[in-house]
Amino acid sequence: MRCVRVWFKKMGMSRYVSHLDLMRAMTRALRRANVPLWYTEGYNPHPYITFALPLSLGMESLCESMDMRIVGEGTNDDIYNMLKDTMPPGIEIIRVSEPVCDPKKISYGEFDIFFDCDGKADETKALITEMLTADELIVQKLGKKGRHKVLKDINLIEHIREYSVSSFCDRVKLSVVLPAGSSTNINPALLADEIQKKAEISSYTLIRKKLMTENMEPFE
Amino acid sequence: MISKEVEKILPLVQKPGRYTGGELNSIVKDKNKVALRYAFCFPDSYEIGMSHLGIKILYSAANKREDVWCERVFAPWTDMENEMRKRDIPLYALESGDCLRDFDLIGFTLQYELSYTNILNMLDLAGIPVRAADRKELTPIVVGGGPCACNPEPIADFFDLFMLGDGEEVSDELFDLLVECKKEKVSKEEFLNRAAQIKGVYVPSLYEIEYNDDNTVKAIIPRNNAPEKVTKRIISDLDSVHYPEKFIVPFVEVVHDRVVHEIFRGCIRGCRFCQAGFLYRPIREKSADTVNSQCKKLCESTGYDEISLSSLSTSDYSHLEELMEKLLTWTEDYKVNIALPSLRVDNFSEKLMEYLKKVRRSGLTFAPEAGTQRLRDAINKNVTEEELMNTAWQAFSGGWTAVKLYFMLGLPTETYDDVAGIADLAQKVVNEFYRNPDKPKGKGVQVSISVSSFVPKPFTPFQWEAQDTMDELISKQNHLLSSVKTRKISVSYHKVNISFLEGVFARGDRRLSDVIEYAWRHGCKFDSWDDNFLFDVWLEAFEKCGVDPLFYSSRKREYSEILPWDHLDYGIRKDFLISESKKAYKNETTPHCKIKCAGCGTNMLNGGKCDAMRKSMV
Repeated sequence: MRCVRVWFKKMGMSRYVSHLDLMRAMTRALRRANVPLWYTEGYNPHPYITFALPLSLGMESLCESMDMRIVGEGTNDDIYNMLKDTMPPGIEIIRVSEPVCDPKKISYGEFDIFFDCDGKADETKALITEMLTADELIVQKLGKKGRHKVLKDINLIEHIREYSVSSFCDRVKLSVVLPAGSSTNINPALLADEIQKKAEISSYTLIRKKLMTENMEPFE
Repeated sequence: MISKEVEKILPLVQKPGRYTGGELNSIVKDKNKVALRYAFCFPDSYEIGMSHLGIKILYSAANKREDVWCERVFAPWTDMENEMRKRDIPLYALESGDCLRDFDLIGFTLQYELSYTNILNMLDLAGIPVRAADRKELTPIVVGGGPCACNPEPIADFFDLFMLGDGEEVSDELFDLLVECKKEKVSKEEFLNRAAQIKGVYVPSLYEIEYNDDNTVKAIIPRNNAPEKVTKRIISDLDSVHYPEKFIVPFVEVVHDRVVHEIFRGCIRGCRFCQAGFLYRPIREKSADTVNSQCKKLCESTGYDEISLSSLSTSDYSHLEELMEKLLTWTEDYKVNIALPSLRVDNFSEKLMEYLKKVRRSGLTFAPEAGTQRLRDAINKNVTEEELMNTAWQAFSGGWTAVKLYFMLGLPTETYDDVAGIADLAQKVVNEFYRNPDKPKGKGVQVSISVSSFVPKPFTPFQWEAQDTMDELISKQNHLLSSVKTRKISVSYHKVNISFLEGVFARGDRRLSDVIEYAWRHGCKFDSWDDNFLFDVWLEAFEKCGVDPLFYSSRKREYSEILPWDHLDYGIRKDFLISESKKAYKNETTPHCKIKCAGCGTNMLNGGKCDAMRKSMV
């Protein structure tokens, strides 16, 4: 029995697949592919599959990974070949590797946010730059206080590690690095929603591009 | 593919995965290369509709044809509907994202009466007039099928035609006709005249209904050569009929998220309250080999880890042990669980129990339906208390500690003693647990009683009966609650007003169309969902339309009365139903079809063949 890390993209309509639904969809895909899964040996045997960091509903991603335990002699390439054609639409296997980092080490995520600008790309770009160069950008986040859920004010500016703004074809792209992982996690949708509201934009799309450790090394 | 407009509202609604399409094994074709576009609509939410076996079979069968593209449409949940209406987004099919209006044929499956308002709502969401008379063009043609098509009169004004019985072959013939009529550019009237000549097709606009002064039906008069009686279709050989090799695998978790395989159609039992038991006759079984190989293909193409064998009474399947043996040769290695719903207590063999132990354990559910032997005899539920106790004993010895029992309240001839009998029977099951030396150690027993309200249905021996009024049902529910003396027994029951409405539509006639349209226009939809059920609006609708609902639900009919569905023929002889009805009042049972053919007449639909008879003669 050994552990492998399967890297995949989650694009297009599959971004509306929730984390729980994704786990079931992946388990079924592994079964269709006849991957020699290792099953738990308890009363109710099930495969052992974990995901590095759940992705919010509605977000696309280029850097998803799941760890699973397999049996047999198969190499990583063998597993890749088994999996590449059995994925549900929208999910694409990139590669299969030995896990290097513990998913607990994930600290940052790099995201692209694309705003549809309805003919006011330049204005929007200027507004975003203005918002992000200010000292404060306060938004409300649903947090926990003991067992209760409460709205907390957070200053997004304090959390943004890096960003860049560009515009093309009536769209504005904001690339941003935000804390992601088990200790601090800032959902980029908080930022995107705030910009959408201020700039009166009809819609945006969000994509997770990269996950990184504390030292900004890529999560491998 | 869904439109940009739809994509914009997806972040605003619950479970957007229901509205995107693009699931594994869904079928996308080039719309310019097909002659006919068919929208298969399930008038309830995605999670319910995607659990339905019929849609899987008919979707796959239609798409097997190169000239037809069949797509799926479900009722959007209220939050999605609000967003769609706000932005003028019409109802679309999941595969292409195209509006329902662009389709040639729109088919609704009629599974339960309380989905009727959703049909109107879905048509309206697509900008299609709800009444057939207001749709003048040849396409789209709106059709219906499924169990409620056996009395479609309450919704007859909204549909162009209905298909009676098994859908596989008749839909094929309908596709052919519509393709031909589109080519010839004939009028809708001409298409309907021709369609009425297809066996199993009922065109309601070709029948005129005359009423007596007392509101009963006086006559049903066909015109334009439409047949006097429309006879339902059946598939003669289930081994050769098309069965899908692939199921669409939804991302969103649906109610029945597994491989489902039907093992036979029809039922040998003849329980007098059960419409399905009569509607789907005669018995036609699939061979164990066919079921086994089809199940394996489906597991491979979907990745599901559970198979459910589907029929009206699984343990009556002649080849069940053979099938289980075959399935278990590969399911254990594949880590596939087998579920056997609809088992009976009177033929639950020890061998079957052994097989059940090998598959993952789920709850054990039995349906005695009535609390006393007298009433079980009257409804012809041929199950004795002894059989139930034996099965419970076996189950407790086998490690089960929870048993669910299904009952009905309001059955014909029921007394308050029969109601109290339900609690007694459950108590006896509890006692059986404690008497059993092999019961699981250190655990208590839990017996859950679930009671529904009896609704008399067409084509059953009880089709002439008066349904209990809501007050009677509530008082029976209370009597049951007060008869239960222990916490080891829990009782759950249905809302009586929902059963009341179901009772009205089950045996209603065309005058109910106005009521349904009024209720829908005043906000009724998703009526089978407690949270959405607006009973006051329904009562208002009856009043405004001058229709007395009790006329349909709580009126006892004479055998001689012309019933609104008398021009529809499901192969069951009326005199057989009458004799069954009379036997009920004498508490006389009828042996099941394998012991002795009861002469219901449905075998004549299949050239005299019935798998129940064939087996008994061997």
